[in-house]
Amino acid sequence: MMQPVLEVRNVSKSFPGVKALDNVSFHINKGEVVGLIGENGAGKSSLLKVLNGIYQPDEGKVLVDGREIIITSPRHAFDSGIAMVFQEQSILPTLTVAENIFLGREEEFLRFGLISKSRMNAAAAEELKKVHLSTHPAMRCADLSFADRQMIEIAKALSLDSRIKTDVTILLDEPTSVLEQKEIELLFRIIGDLKQRASIVFISHRLEEVLEISDRVYVMRDGQIVQELAAKDATVKELHQHMVGRQLHHEYYREARQATPSAKTVLECVDLNRDGAFSNISFELHEGEVLGIAGVIGSGREDLARCLAGHTSPDGGNLLVNGTAVHFGAAYDATAKGVGLVPSERKVEGLVAPFSVAENMTLAALPKFVSGGIISFSSEKAVAADWVSRLKIKTPSTATSAGSLSGGNQQKVVLAKWRIAGVRVLILDHPTRGIDVGSKEDVYELVRDMTAEGLAVILLGDTLDEVIGLSNRILVMRDGEITARFEAPPGGKPTQVELVRHMV
Amino acid sequence: MASKKTETVNVNARLNRRTILKGAAALGVFGSSFPMPAIAQETTWTLANSMRSVANPYHASFAKGGADFAKSIGATYETLATEGNSEKGVSDIRALLQRTGGKLILNVDPNDSPDARVIVEEVKKAGGFVVTQWNKPDDLHPWDFDPNYVAHMSFDGVPTAEAIANELFKAFGGEGGIVALGGILSNVPAIERKLGLDNAIAKTNGKVTLLDFQPADWNEQKAFDITQAWLTRFGDQVKGVFAANDGMGMGALEALRQNGLAGKVPVVGIDGIDAAVTAIEAGEFAGTVAWDPIWTGGMGLAIPYAHATGKIDITKEPREHREFYGTGIIVSKDTVADYKNNPPKVDYNDLWGKATGQIQYRS
Amino acid sequence: MKPVSVSNGNLLGHWRRWAPVVVLLALCILISLFNGNFLTFGNFIRLLNSAAIPIVLCMGATFIILMGSIDLSIEGVVALTAVIVSLLVLNDISPYALSLWAVPIAVAVGGMMGLLNGVLHIKLKTPSFMTTLGVGFAGVGVATTILGGTTVRISDPTFRFLSLGRVLEIPMAVWIAAVAVAVAYVIQERTRLGRWLYAIGTDEMTARHAGIPIERTRILIFGIAGLFYGLGGVLAAAQFGQGHALISQGRLFTTITAVVVGGTALSGGVGSVINSVIGVFIVVVLANGLVLMGVEPYVQQGVQGLLIIAAVALALDRSRLDVVK
Repeated sequence: MMQPVLEVRNVSKSFPGVKALDNVSFHINKGEVVGLIGENGAGKSSLLKVLNGIYQPDEGKVLVDGREIIITSPRHAFDSGIAMVFQEQSILPTLTVAENIFLGREEEFLRFGLISKSRMNAAAAEELKKVHLSTHPAMRCADLSFADRQMIEIAKALSLDSRIKTDVTILLDEPTSVLEQKEIELLFRIIGDLKQRASIVFISHRLEEVLEISDRVYVMRDGQIVQELAAKDATVKELHQHMVGRQLHHEYYREARQATPSAKTVLECVDLNRDGAFSNISFELHEGEVLGIAGVIGSGREDLARCLAGHTSPDGGNLLVNGTAVHFGAAYDATAKGVGLVPSERKVEGLVAPFSVAENMTLAALPKFVSGGIISFSSEKAVAADWVSRLKIKTPSTATSAGSLSGGNQQKVVLAKWRIAGVRVLILDHPTRGIDVGSKEDVYELVRDMTAEGLAVILLGDTLDEVIGLSNRILVMRDGEITARFEAPPGGKPTQVELVRHMV
Repeated sequence: MASKKTETVNVNARLNRRTILKGAAALGVFGSSFPMPAIAQETTWTLANSMRSVANPYHASFAKGGADFAKSIGATYETLATEGNSEKGVSDIRALLQRTGGKLILNVDPNDSPDARVIVEEVKKAGGFVVTQWNKPDDLHPWDFDPNYVAHMSFDGVPTAEAIANELFKAFGGEGGIVALGGILSNVPAIERKLGLDNAIAKTNGKVTLLDFQPADWNEQKAFDITQAWLTRFGDQVKGVFAANDGMGMGALEALRQNGLAGKVPVVGIDGIDAAVTAIEAGEFAGTVAWDPIWTGGMGLAIPYAHATGKIDITKEPREHREFYGTGIIVSKDTVADYKNNPPKVDYNDLWGKATGQIQYRS
Repeated sequence: MKPVSVSNGNLLGHWRRWAPVVVLLALCILISLFNGNFLTFGNFIRLLNSAAIPIVLCMGATFIILMGSIDLSIEGVVALTAVIVSLLVLNDISPYALSLWAVPIAVAVGGMMGLLNGVLHIKLKTPSFMTTLGVGFAGVGVATTILGGTTVRISDPTFRFLSLGRVLEIPMAVWIAAVAVAVAYVIQERTRLGRWLYAIGTDEMTARHAGIPIERTRILIFGIAGLFYGLGGVLAAAQFGQGHALISQGRLFTTITAVVVGGTALSGGVGSVINSVIGVFIVVVLANGLVLMGVEPYVQQGVQGLLIIAAVALALDRSRLDVVK
């Protein structure tokens, strides 16, 4: 049998109160793509952090090419042939593409202590070719799209391949969550090429992708590896069962609970227009309705969402809430009128990470908890506890800092915040990005609960499937304009193909 | 060190050597905020001078004057520096009053006018004696706090500035344009000195004109930059530079030097710092005013000490002995040699010998 | 191949990057309309003369600010090095006459104080704000103690040549400042330290993961900044022909203002030493121009205050664009 390139033997890692990794054994062979799946909190991230030298295991060992090593830092991991593409991007916007790719490894371009920019840029151009990116290496990353930066992150990891004599393992943590279909296909082609030279660990919540790209799949649950299976024999349903340890709900998007919206219009756009972002946007949103907006990156739907929530101002047209024209100068104006946005950048915009769960939940509705200028901690705590149980948020207590929760639970905290604030229109921008299947279902359940209570939802779905499954009606946007409108009643949903035709 | 010195600067060199020795004394200043030996407080008065900082020449000499007097009577002496912080100034004084059990004679240049009232009240409460310098509210008078608030002394910026401005006019022949650098706009001395300059110009009946006035906030660098801009704006119309203190004057002089005009365009300042005196000798400065801070530093202690020891009864003294102006010494090309050879003497027995009249309030 | 998508915000960002240059040019045009003398060679030299010392100080301060720290020790380091260099060249107090050899000694003292800043900041884990404030006070304190409040007068013509001398009609101080800018630019653009200080200023955690020796880099950068301040102290002594503890008064505020006005964000990671050179010129040209235009002194302070606020607003906005991915 061939020697694994990278092997983990009986590794355990505990944190106060949690056993993050419990006797985990795992290996990857040369040229193999191994999928690693599991719900959030199952231990995938901890395992990657051990492999990347951020965590030191309490027990067990890590072997590279059959030799035991103790990985002390990400840099040490890199020099040992293990490169990681982080879920939270580690691209620095203030540096150029080339500078990012070779950050911390500039020594190969030094001459008399000075960096040769031309040589570095040339080397970076080589690496960019591998990911089929035509970006100029001297461009600042701040000027690139999020997806491009993700590709650069991957290029950075791939740069190891031509620089290390030993075998290379690349850890891809959710590389596709921010990529559009075309880019995902490109990434998969790259992974295909790469198999000649490297081994790849692929982590994704999109189980179809995992099955498509992987040779073998490990399923993690509660800090343990519960299943190892060959990808060609497995099905999504099977993976899902192993992950959650229960049957996949046969009705994923809760279509049966899809409410029939009332005739009352809560929000209306008339020829809304923002220069360079979108134009001629007109639609009505009704009480109890889920309005999906489909479109690729650059279609203007994110800009529209931010504008509706008062983060930016329109240059023309009218926005009406409950029949009255409104002008939002800032997000709090929108909140005051009952419009809230759950942003896709949860970490940056949706959550104050160091604040506790309770503090985050009451942030948008603090006046409700203040009497005589003093915040009432008891009523804050009571309301927070109520929402923790209603939304099944997994947190040790309402005083836990929100930043320490898993992605799905963070998202639920953000949703609770807006519910507590009493918004009537909620804009969900990629509400399930980067969260696991179980939590996704909880979010879908929540959306149905909200509409049942008469809230209206505008949904910018993570996948087309999600948009179709959840929405009552769907708008398709392209180049800043609405190109099609679909009714999507239960049993009468449009297909992905129908939508895509209007998207590109 | 002595090898390079010429005979002519010897007097000055000695002055400097003395002040350098004070470097060690300055260390002592910092050290001296430790508790004093118990004997000192039981037997005699503790003397202290309080001022902004020993980092500027004026206050360094002020502290030295206090130390000199204390030494002459064999008393314990301390220097308190506020470092520009009113809170620190007042709390240091409070601490010293406590430590000395009120047996304190204090000569204070308050950081800010309102501080004077707080300090006077504290000293009265503790039973010490205090003299204030330069800064106090106009409605705060020594005779309202008999006998503890002994006196307030200041210098009248108006006639001083007028006199030094005349020295400047004389230096360039009394006809032409000048530019003037002022202190911080809201500062009382800055206002007085500007007023004196204006008076002097008015008396020339249009022969001297003020091309421009700019506050340089007592700052050398600012004065340098402003003077440069003036040279661009007015060119050779600038016949002289008036600076409301010597520091700014030095900045102006260096700006002139950069443009090859040092010694050609005369500069005057106020304060009498060593560098200005040297510049007068070199023919680059037309004059400065020496305040004699050694005198104010010593006499601000000598007067209350005379009262405390029963030599005088301050409450019986006339008002011009309670609130009075000191004498500034005009140093110019003609008088500089004399000034350096005969540095002003301090006679601690002649308490009001250099007083020049009761303080006038202009508002 | 796919085109690079540049969003609106980033186009605006491009604009903002040039904002300081636009401000500077606009100022120059405005002033020359009021007073034709502004555009004369003589005034050009005077502007350079006023800018030389602030530029040298800004080179150090920019590095610190790019790194996301702040350095409040500038005045202390300048005061001490100016006093030391004054005492080491031919002067009226001390017997030393090292002439130009005093320069490397004073600059090295500046470097040592910078290193002290860095070591205290890193090893004691105190915020750079507090550490540098303390070291700055100590610098002024030691300078005061050495001189006891007096002033050293420099009588060494060779040393004063550093400020008064002219080469090709340009004052020596300006040449020295130009060399300082060149050195700073090379450090920023072509060395690992330069690269790393941007990385640290942008996201220290990411920089750490990339294997950058954060602590060592920070300490070294503080040391380098100290060298620049030391050189600034030397030039100040040469310019005024004297050394005293108050020679650096007001330098801290001018320096930080110039850095920020030039477009370097106080949040770190954004900006450049070249920005700071522009920033210094904006501050210097404005001060010069306000006098040339005969603006009321009372109004001048207001104008300068408004400029600072406007510049900070620009810088804040830009950094926000960079943080929001």
